[in-house]
Amino acid sequence: MTDEHKKYVKKIKIRKLVTKILQASILILFIGLWELVASKEIIDPFIISSPSRIVKIFIKLQGQNSLYNHMVATLSETVFGFLISTVLGTIIAIMLWWNKLLNDVLEPYLITLNALPKISLGPLIIIWIGAGKNSIITMTVLTCIIITIISMLAGFLQVDKEKIMLLKSMRANKFQILFKLVLPSNIPTLMSVLKINVGLAWVGAIIGEYLVSREGIGYLIVYGSQVFQLDLVMASITILSILAALMYAIVAIAEKIIKKYF
Amino acid sequence: MQPILDLKDLTFSYHSKEGETKALQNLTFSVDQGDFVGLVGPSGCGKTTILNLIAGIISPASGSILLNSQPLNLSLDKVALMPQRDQLFEWRTIERNIMLGLEIRKTKTKQNKEMALALLKKYGLGDFAKMHPSQLSGGMKQRAALIRTLVTQPEILLLDEPFSALDFQTRLNVCNDVYSIIKQEQKTAILVSHDISECISLCDKIVVLSNRPTTVKEEIIIEIDKSLTPLKRREHKLFAGYFEKIWSLLEEKENDG
Repeated sequence: MTDEHKKYVKKIKIRKLVTKILQASILILFIGLWELVASKEIIDPFIISSPSRIVKIFIKLQGQNSLYNHMVATLSETVFGFLISTVLGTIIAIMLWWNKLLNDVLEPYLITLNALPKISLGPLIIIWIGAGKNSIITMTVLTCIIITIISMLAGFLQVDKEKIMLLKSMRANKFQILFKLVLPSNIPTLMSVLKINVGLAWVGAIIGEYLVSREGIGYLIVYGSQVFQLDLVMASITILSILAALMYAIVAIAEKIIKKYF
Repeated sequence: MQPILDLKDLTFSYHSKEGETKALQNLTFSVDQGDFVGLVGPSGCGKTTILNLIAGIISPASGSILLNSQPLNLSLDKVALMPQRDQLFEWRTIERNIMLGLEIRKTKTKQNKEMALALLKKYGLGDFAKMHPSQLSGGMKQRAALIRTLVTQPEILLLDEPFSALDFQTRLNVCNDVYSIIKQEQKTAILVSHDISECISLCDKIVVLSNRPTTVKEEIIIEIDKSLTPLKRREHKLFAGYFEKIWSLLEEKENDG
């Protein structure tokens, strides 16, 4: 290794470290200022809560053993909705790729459904499916599935025409074109869809809980705001941020592993 | 001698909402066993259409294509296409890329696999079998793409502007490569190219095509020593004459009648 290269590597390492330090300081500064402003009552802590009050709420909820249940409720709704919409959406996209007529017929409906705010369907879903977990999962699926179908289909249709020609010249049937070319070449599309859905699934689950639930993080937020217990609302949002970040990290790791094989 | 491939009175049209475009009209030419035949013509004259017809991807509206005196659809396995650019699948290793044809035809036997790997070794890609296309140079990728077409043991190779994505120097080298491999494997080849020099340097016969609807304008036999490499052929004293001739044929105003 030349000295010049050593310098370069060192520079990159330092840059990375500085980024991490700055990221951490923003968080610490934010929490610190928040605590300060609340404890000196510069702004009423009743309105903005404070980090220490959030910690107290955590401990209290933990003592009642309810925090865990709320987390599991929301997490399971989100994960189920996420998986169902990804799998089902991909299957529907394959069907539309397979059958051009079906695609042409359904296109305007897909576009309309994509533009429609899914939350508007919430009350209907509750009436049709009932006020429970299933409604919330349905809400999550509805939030994610349309964009999954549209994105996957766009990826399928962008497959290089010449590669299709090559397979056709080898006498490949449509199944082979699907499994040897269209699906494997769209692993990156699937990955970006997963990343979008990780975010959207939380939106669907929380909206669903706002509308119907008796448990879950979304329920805690609504309940907390109704009884003006903003500590509880803030604590719930904190938990939500952590869970969402974790789930995104899992998808990112899955992407890295899959990329190794493709 | 019977030609290996016989195209007779081929007619083909593309249909769209705006109307019908006649791509080919009464196109007739034949290819002899072991020949390297080039198709040149003005751009958009349906050269790729001709290859797709021979590959059996599309069917002519009328006319016949005979392979070994038999209708083409009885022996489609004898034809292999090498498309524009290499079109190797990025997610497959070189080894799995060249096996693609065997997989599709469900003939991936142990024997065929070994034969494919032997081809890779023979043409200097043995060490790259486990690598992905992105790890190979442009020229090597082109060679891998050619080996992919050879693996299913076709009699006729269809080359659709296979070198168009390469820089000039690589292109000359890959031409030498491809030429020697095809001659060594004793394959018949049909090359579509818009590069007249490239065509003369590789081909035994050049079919000059007209504007749409495409017919054969003239067939030119290239009588330059076949044992020379394409690069040497470019320096041959007859080369410039052939170039002039094809150039002026392509320049000629169409006689619409």
